[in-house]
Amino acid sequence: MEFLASEQIAVIDLASGEVTEEEFTDELCQEKIGGAGVNLALYKQYEAEEPVVLGAGLFTGTMVPGSSLGLMTAKSPLTGTVVHTPLTQYAGMELKYSGFDYIVIKGTAAAPSYLWIHDGIADIEDASGLWGLDVWAACDKVRADMGDELIQVLGAGPAAEKGSDLACVMLNYWHGGDRFGLGKALAAKNLKLIAIRGLGLLEIAEDEEFVEQCVELIGQVKSGAWAGKKGLGDLGAAVGENGLADWLAPVLHRSRSDFNTPFAANSFLFLEGDPAELAEPANPEPGVLLAGLDGALGLMKLGLTVAEAGDVALACAKAGLDVSGVASVCAAGGTTEAGAIIAALEDISGPVEGLAGPFSPWTPKQSVFADFGSGDEWWTRRQAVAHIFGLDPLFVLMCPELTEEKLLELASLGTELEFSAEGLEAVIAEVAG
Amino acid sequence: MDALAAYSAFNRELARGVSTAPPAELVGLTRGESLRYPRLGIYTGGGSSHSWLWLAEVFERLGFYDLKFLDAAQVGAGGLAGLDVLVLSGGDTFAMARALGPGGAEAIRDFVEGGGLYLGACAGAYLVMRSSKEPLNQFNLVPATISNLSKILPRALTLPEKYTNAYGCDYVFHPVREAMLLQGQGGPMGQDEFQAPLYGGPAMLPADEVVEVLASYQDFTPGTRFLAPPDLAAETLLGKAAVLRGRLGEGTLYLFGPHFEHPGFAGANRRLARAIYQDMPGGRAKAAPEKADQLAGAGAKALIKAIKRQVSNSRITAVSLEDHPARWLIGDKVYEPAKLRVFLEAIWSRLRPLERASGLAQVPGAEELPDLLAGVTTGIRALKRELAAEDDTTARAAKLFQDLNRAAALFLRMYFASARLGHLDPPAARRLH
Amino acid sequence: MGVKIDPLKCTACMACELACGYHRDDAFALLSSCIVAYRTRDKKDYFGVILKEEEDLIIARPEGLEVKRIGAVDESQGEADASAKPMLLREACDLCEDRDDGPLCKQLCPSGAIYLD
Repeated sequence: MEFLASEQIAVIDLASGEVTEEEFTDELCQEKIGGAGVNLALYKQYEAEEPVVLGAGLFTGTMVPGSSLGLMTAKSPLTGTVVHTPLTQYAGMELKYSGFDYIVIKGTAAAPSYLWIHDGIADIEDASGLWGLDVWAACDKVRADMGDELIQVLGAGPAAEKGSDLACVMLNYWHGGDRFGLGKALAAKNLKLIAIRGLGLLEIAEDEEFVEQCVELIGQVKSGAWAGKKGLGDLGAAVGENGLADWLAPVLHRSRSDFNTPFAANSFLFLEGDPAELAEPANPEPGVLLAGLDGALGLMKLGLTVAEAGDVALACAKAGLDVSGVASVCAAGGTTEAGAIIAALEDISGPVEGLAGPFSPWTPKQSVFADFGSGDEWWTRRQAVAHIFGLDPLFVLMCPELTEEKLLELASLGTELEFSAEGLEAVIAEVAG
Repeated sequence: MDALAAYSAFNRELARGVSTAPPAELVGLTRGESLRYPRLGIYTGGGSSHSWLWLAEVFERLGFYDLKFLDAAQVGAGGLAGLDVLVLSGGDTFAMARALGPGGAEAIRDFVEGGGLYLGACAGAYLVMRSSKEPLNQFNLVPATISNLSKILPRALTLPEKYTNAYGCDYVFHPVREAMLLQGQGGPMGQDEFQAPLYGGPAMLPADEVVEVLASYQDFTPGTRFLAPPDLAAETLLGKAAVLRGRLGEGTLYLFGPHFEHPGFAGANRRLARAIYQDMPGGRAKAAPEKADQLAGAGAKALIKAIKRQVSNSRITAVSLEDHPARWLIGDKVYEPAKLRVFLEAIWSRLRPLERASGLAQVPGAEELPDLLAGVTTGIRALKRELAAEDDTTARAAKLFQDLNRAAALFLRMYFASARLGHLDPPAARRLH
Repeated sequence: MGVKIDPLKCTACMACELACGYHRDDAFALLSSCIVAYRTRDKKDYFGVILKEEEDLIIARPEGLEVKRIGAVDESQGEADASAKPMLLREACDLCEDRDDGPLCKQLCPSGAIYLD
């Protein structure tokens, strides 16, 4: 695949230490389009070796609005089924530029290891100096060792090492959309983290036309119903959780976006210092980023103040625990006091109620701001489209302009391959399970 | 087809020994002798800056693949034998003279007297001009002096570190930088105006009528950057020689004030090529291509991958340092962190063709490249840590630039030798990524 | 006229960097952009934008804009500014001179943080 791709799939055997490269072919792209479609095909190809598959969507890292999404496809320790966990913020973009379109990680390493994925090279490295470190310390260390603060780290924390079902894949220091316990799946392979950095380039088949259409699309998107809104507070209000914004307000710092995603969904809570102060703080670790509405609401509904919730979220982040899952388990067990919750994190585990299907339930199950769809079937289809094309799973719920027809048109322009509505239908059916 | 591509196509035919019609602007240039494919030596040794990489870039675009990269020891130890052309580009003139020493000076004199063509740009021009100062007095090959010399140093408007160098009791000063308008005055320079950039090179005055002025500084351009007041700059530069041609024995020397090899100035590049065709030794039998063993299959792939791994590692850290404000005075030259990338990109941008090549030329020393580059990776990462700790990093940086220079020369030797074997596609589509 | 940045409106989405990369390389890539999202102090929630112009380096951060004259003499220190050749391999902003619609970074910025003045 010459366009919008690096033409390479890495197959990493942790058991033997061997890395082989396969070509990402036009045929595979034509049939499975990208993202979850290809991830699932590779998962099935290597199923006997319990693979974890990383991949980016067809448009990840490109100018299509919302092009932030990478994904990890694996069997969830929580559900026992194959799931697609979203890799948002900058992780998907970095993966797309890493020199690999897809990465299959199979087998189990004999000793703690980590992967260093960079510019088309996949190195298996010794993680004995990282194992046991919390998520933040491990991220800091690998970035310092490799000499770059922009390395994106998909990490498993101490909770994953202990085998907690709530151990999620962390994105650098923060939570993303993993509700499926895939941090545990990594640690079970003796894999502490996956560090990714790529300075690559994606060629575009019909570049002028592709970009012109993207610019036009962005022009339309900018005046969408989401415009002027940002952060978890506004997102909560859009789905009827009107108290969230006021609850967040006392410690709310700034809101920030995922890569090339217009709506800034991530809210940073300043737990030490004045949240209104935007100058660079002296404190190197003043707070925590909340990246999911479900997690924020879960903590709020436990009756915590936002400052207490921030402390819990920060402890979860360092341990590598899913905030939403922790809130759910604590609510079910009647643990509602911040100190008790933090103490319980040491050995907290599942089960978590309500997990079903291959897509993370971290996004609201309805259209947001704009009214253009609702219901499980609509949401699942929309998530499938996001996970195939590499689009932010939240932004596709607020952006009716990102139609399937438009995405197919862009796919053909970008790659010189012909994609049809029928072909997309088949891939959606497959990845949606 | 642009002019450089026309040269490249013509040169590929010449290299194969095929007589074909030359580009129109070469017709009638060589005093009746037929054009032939030159063997060029590029000086990469002590005192040279990164500008020799421009030579490699431009010669590649012009299709001159028979390149030899020489350090100071090689120049003095018979390395010029068999060369048609020796090129010395920018750097620290005194350091260059010291590195080459009396043995190097004698070798260069013998080379030219024996019919060789010497091209000196900037420091390479200063080096061979009339001088009574040690150690430059060993290189008095062209009776010419400079006009950018003063006993009293005018105040620098900007970039003081680029403005002047001590020359005995006097100062060589550089009143402007960047693009200048030149007026061709015959021979390979033609009779028209064109642009070339000045980075500390001389404004020259022939001291003997046997020295021809082939181009002069005509005017400033919108891109000219003034380091001295414009009236002083005009007085110092305008009307003075930008290109001189001298004869010595059977050979010829060209002195270029500006960098005619800068890849951003195609008009100057073409004139450089014309100078080579016109004044390279005539009448000799065509030099036989250097023999090179070949490396193919898994061995070749493993070598390129090992190089790629380390260049990627180094480059990732180098990119993270490119806006770092550190500067180092190494010898007479100021280096910044951003220059680390210049050497790394020279290798990186040529890796993809080598990955796809059917085989590699096996050149002495190439097997050392992975270890040499692994040392560079370690060095750049350590440099970053030491910069963060505000340690003195001058010695570290000097060693890094020395190793990068050596690695780039070794790599390019392998690259061009492989190109001569016909293993590489023409470089039209090379990019930085 | 030049590209201006309001750092308080920036959400660190990198659309500007992507736009500039396309302008330079006719492909999607980030290594040649003259406008760069500054995002290395992730844990502090501290981010902004750096823009390389012909003569200045514009650093737009929450505290405000800092303009560093490339290579300018700092009179108070008696020596040259430290930013002699930052981002050496990235070309300075040319306002996307080949585009009728002006700078692509401005068009793509979703938050209005980039404007012309």
